[in-house]
Amino acid sequence: MTHDIVFTVNGNPERASVPATMTLLDLLRDRLALTGTKEGCGIGECGACTVLLNGKPITACLMLAVEADGQAIETIEGEAVGGELSVLQQSFIDAGATQCGFCTPGMIMSAHGLLLRSPSPSHDEIVEAIAGNLCRCTGYEAIIAAIRLAADRLGGEPHDA
Amino acid sequence: MTRELNVIGKPVARADAVDKVTGAAHYTHDLGFPGMLHAALVLSPHASARIVSVDTEAAEATPGVRAILTGKSLDVHLGLYMQDKRILAKDVVRYQGEAVVAVAADTLEIANAACRLVRVDYEELPAVLDPCEAMEKGAHLVHPDLETYSHMEGVFFPKPKTNIAHHQKIRKGDVARASDDAEVTLTASFDNPPVQHVPMETHATIAQSLPQNRMEVWTSSQSPYTVRHLLSATFNLPHASIRVHVPYVGGGFGGKAGLGLEPLAYVLSKAADGRPVKVVATREQEFNTLPSRQGLHSTIEIGARADGKIVSLKSTYIWDAGAYADYGVNVGRAAAYSGAGPYSIDNCWIDSFVVYTNKIYGTAYRGFGHLEILWGIERAMDQMARKLNMDPAEFRRINLLKEGDTTITGEAFTSGHGKPQQCLDAVTEAIGWGTPSTPPDVPHKVRGKGIAMLHKAPAMPTYTSCSVVIKLDEDGGADILVSGVDYGQGTYTVLRQIAAEELSIPIEKTHITWECDTAFSPYDWQTVASRFAYMGGNAVIEASADCLGQLRSMASRALDVPSELLICNGGSVYPDGQPDRAISYATLALGYTFENGNSIGGPVIGHGRFIAKGLTHLDPETGQGLPAQYWTYGAHAVEVEVDTQTGEIEVLNIVSALDAGKVLNPKLCLGQVVGGVIQGLGSALWEGFVFSEDGRFLNPAFVDYKIPTAKDIPHRTQQIFLENPQPGGPYGARGVAEHPMISVPSAIGNALYDALGIEFMTLPLNYERILTRLRENAEAT
Amino acid sequence: MLGNFEYTRIRSIDEGCRALADAKEAGAVLAGGTDLLVEIRNGLKSPKLLVDCKALDDLHVLDTSPEKTTIGASVTLNRLIENRTFRGHYPALADALESIGTYQLRNRATVSGNICNGSPAADSAPVLLVLDATVHVHGVGGPRVIPIADFFAGVKRTALNPDEIVTSITLPVNAGRRTSFLKQQRIKGHDLAVVNAAGAYDPETREVRLAIGSCAPTPVLLDPIPMDVSDLAASINHAVSLVQRSVSPISDVRASAGYRNAVLPVLVTRILRELLDPGGEA
Repeated sequence: MTHDIVFTVNGNPERASVPATMTLLDLLRDRLALTGTKEGCGIGECGACTVLLNGKPITACLMLAVEADGQAIETIEGEAVGGELSVLQQSFIDAGATQCGFCTPGMIMSAHGLLLRSPSPSHDEIVEAIAGNLCRCTGYEAIIAAIRLAADRLGGEPHDA
Repeated sequence: MTRELNVIGKPVARADAVDKVTGAAHYTHDLGFPGMLHAALVLSPHASARIVSVDTEAAEATPGVRAILTGKSLDVHLGLYMQDKRILAKDVVRYQGEAVVAVAADTLEIANAACRLVRVDYEELPAVLDPCEAMEKGAHLVHPDLETYSHMEGVFFPKPKTNIAHHQKIRKGDVARASDDAEVTLTASFDNPPVQHVPMETHATIAQSLPQNRMEVWTSSQSPYTVRHLLSATFNLPHASIRVHVPYVGGGFGGKAGLGLEPLAYVLSKAADGRPVKVVATREQEFNTLPSRQGLHSTIEIGARADGKIVSLKSTYIWDAGAYADYGVNVGRAAAYSGAGPYSIDNCWIDSFVVYTNKIYGTAYRGFGHLEILWGIERAMDQMARKLNMDPAEFRRINLLKEGDTTITGEAFTSGHGKPQQCLDAVTEAIGWGTPSTPPDVPHKVRGKGIAMLHKAPAMPTYTSCSVVIKLDEDGGADILVSGVDYGQGTYTVLRQIAAEELSIPIEKTHITWECDTAFSPYDWQTVASRFAYMGGNAVIEASADCLGQLRSMASRALDVPSELLICNGGSVYPDGQPDRAISYATLALGYTFENGNSIGGPVIGHGRFIAKGLTHLDPETGQGLPAQYWTYGAHAVEVEVDTQTGEIEVLNIVSALDAGKVLNPKLCLGQVVGGVIQGLGSALWEGFVFSEDGRFLNPAFVDYKIPTAKDIPHRTQQIFLENPQPGGPYGARGVAEHPMISVPSAIGNALYDALGIEFMTLPLNYERILTRLRENAEAT
Repeated sequence: MLGNFEYTRIRSIDEGCRALADAKEAGAVLAGGTDLLVEIRNGLKSPKLLVDCKALDDLHVLDTSPEKTTIGASVTLNRLIENRTFRGHYPALADALESIGTYQLRNRATVSGNICNGSPAADSAPVLLVLDATVHVHGVGGPRVIPIADFFAGVKRTALNPDEIVTSITLPVNAGRRTSFLKQQRIKGHDLAVVNAAGAYDPETREVRLAIGSCAPTPVLLDPIPMDVSDLAASINHAVSLVQRSVSPISDVRASAGYRNAVLPVLVTRILRELLDPGGEA
């Protein structure tokens, strides 16, 4: 049995007919070809599949696609608007916060969620926000610096793009 | 002559960053093709067993299943150095997690469901899990037919009818006499568990068997050409019939060197009538089935004079290779020739045994062999210093390699080797060595400081080579073709900087495409061993010179000026002192056209190459020879704080100094060091496989295999780069990518002694181990 | 894709209970899914039907009235942690919830899910136990309440019948009681508890409640222990010995029994010092 669902991804209305067993991650990657969201473990431990659900970061591997019915999803593909990098994306580049890049989309979505709820985050808030995103390359320092840089550049305004 | 540099040494941002922050970077995980099948694996639940029967009937009857393979039908051995492994287990399984059956089906769900229908009957066999026990007479033989396996002759020495895959010897001077003469001696043993690389992108491969015995492969690999060569050797196919693509790679750290899932994907595709087959390791398979870093048991005997000069070193390194030792043998070899640390020791005897056991098999992991041996060596150096009543830093200074010394393989240590002591001096100064730590504000916490040295040379065959092609674009830009892989290190950005510098064009006009393709990219051995910037950089310099020669030659005719009087600057060629006569590279890139329409020259394509120079095989009996293209030296100093009631350890500061020769890009270099140090912290404090008594792997997931998170990094890290130039290195640079990880555990172990007065000999230094030792100590006193 | 199950988003609690009853033992309630979906993926559970209650508005109620606090079964951990009133009333519970998993996980996970999973290491359990929480459940026969002390039945087992759904957890007013939660992990990053513990001290009765997790097949609640503040050290030693008699830690891949036994008195002592001698010497 499949379930018909209606939802938005990066503001675009979407419809899909999905089996109960499909995860949101499968829906994004396999059906919608939004492969910027990565799978690193499948059990919610690594954060590579972090997306925003109604503005809040969640791991897409631990949510069923059918649960997305009526919800708003944001992925890394929606982060740059009209080809223009977001302040967060530019800050990740400037701070040298990406190496192999596999954790980067999830990391940026976690950071995006943070800057929505806390536009001037403390160091501890930044760390708490990304501690669920494993990175094996950078040692995190540059990522923390990138988020700090983005918050400074946004000047206390919530990150909304 | 000092030359003014415009691009080299500048913090140029990585070219791939935009793709990575937008999600546009496609990794093998993200690729798919029409008709593509998905593969799943049946894994062995036993560490050691005979495969009695495999029943695939029910699985074959599943709609959507297109191919099922077992080891029976695949009679080939794989390997780069030691061909001891099969694509799927045949007759016996040698570790829990070994792939026994593979299914390719229309969807991953069907493949997984079919795997659950496969019935494998096993008859359990004795298992040998400890490498020391595996060396004993009468131990269960993991490979009873070892003598029949092909291996790199003259370099590796497997011992038939034993579990020893390789025995590397180093013999220098007269150890027996020197240790008899020593005034102070120390013997100590150390242990490292197997550890996983944990790239965030697990291994993934898509392969397609094509007509006329051709094959196309897309793979998350560090080694496009080595993959192609080994596929060619394995399946007896011409090299040109195999095309290997490497798109963006989500981390490797050595675990994606050599062969991975490529042969399996290919044989499945062949069995499925040539449909492309995608094999993606689950995270559990990444832990359980794909290779790890080898465990090590080391015993170190040091003899010294009372004045602190080491006179003898005898070390035995027993490597826990696991079930297969293809890459493990090379780790055992490299660890032997590096096996005395960065010290000058006249009398040295090292035995490095790579030993089969019934566990997950080992491979290269960032700085391979060195984090492991230096855990012992640098801990032993501190212990010896205490026996001598000397400061550990001072004891090291007495023994560090200096100009005029020779290494344990007989290599002369010259001024071009870099300055180990400057690294030590830099970190001891930064950490405030000699000044006790500020006491913590609570009585149950204590602090301590520790130092450790590190060194490593690229471990690679004597003939290792690479090549680069540079094509000039119509706009005068440079397209650089390489087949070394940038899986996050940033080497492509550095190669672009070198091309920009050499060609005298802006960095923005240089370009490297993020996909290696053996059909178009020129040869490179493998992207391992901190050698890509060094070798690839030299090749870019040569290719740039080739381009400039072609540009000058055309400009010479166009301007009617001898080419030796022409200079290339800012993207133009002109006679020295006459920039007004400049001809732009763009005008020359496809050939030069005179006013009357006559044309000369042609498209500018330069090529450059580099091959390791002067390396020799090591003498089988003495290990003497020249194994290293260059050495990189460094040091760490750390300060830790321990909660003596719970064993929790917190790293307050890690200072790292590396002699980079020349920092080509400070931003990328820093990224390598910070990232490497935190990876080393993982090995130091948390990481390690845990096995049950019957050889089952108990922590094959992030739930119980913990790597550092953003909460686990030190309060502070500091990076110091020394620039004592490397002769033959591009702009004097030497590799530094692997090194930051090495000796982080050693420095922390030494700091723990300073804090607690307890000698830790076993990694990881997790809270439980620390508290257990604290309590044992309290009971004993 | 995960396992082989059907999914239903219920519109009433009765519909959910009937669906679970019809599914016999093969139904499972889908709350945040952060434990259930992992167990399905790993083959540890294979339910045939997932019952999603998140469309029921009643289950999203978070009411922190002065008399009692009601936490609807669908309230996420982060909603609680980020609610200042809630943290003000129940700081130890907020601390415990914040120690669960990652930030992303806490945007999905619920307290009800944490206890229904039945893990001996459930981080919310010790605090809920010392706070005398009440679990409100609904089955085909109607609602009933289960005191939290009766909720845990064994490793991965609870007092719930197969047709029952937790609708909310209520906490009595916490006036005057001081509470504290501590958790020993293997790493500062997200981890399951090696040992967790909570304490609640009532200055009026001068009694302390202690609950311990990860040291027995279920979280363990001790009987109230009288504390003599004039001889705190003796009281603490006494409490520690009572704790040690109440638990039976085992060795597993996370820690040895020996380590658990060693850390447990440390956590209990630290909790009692914080409750009885805040600001005193640790």
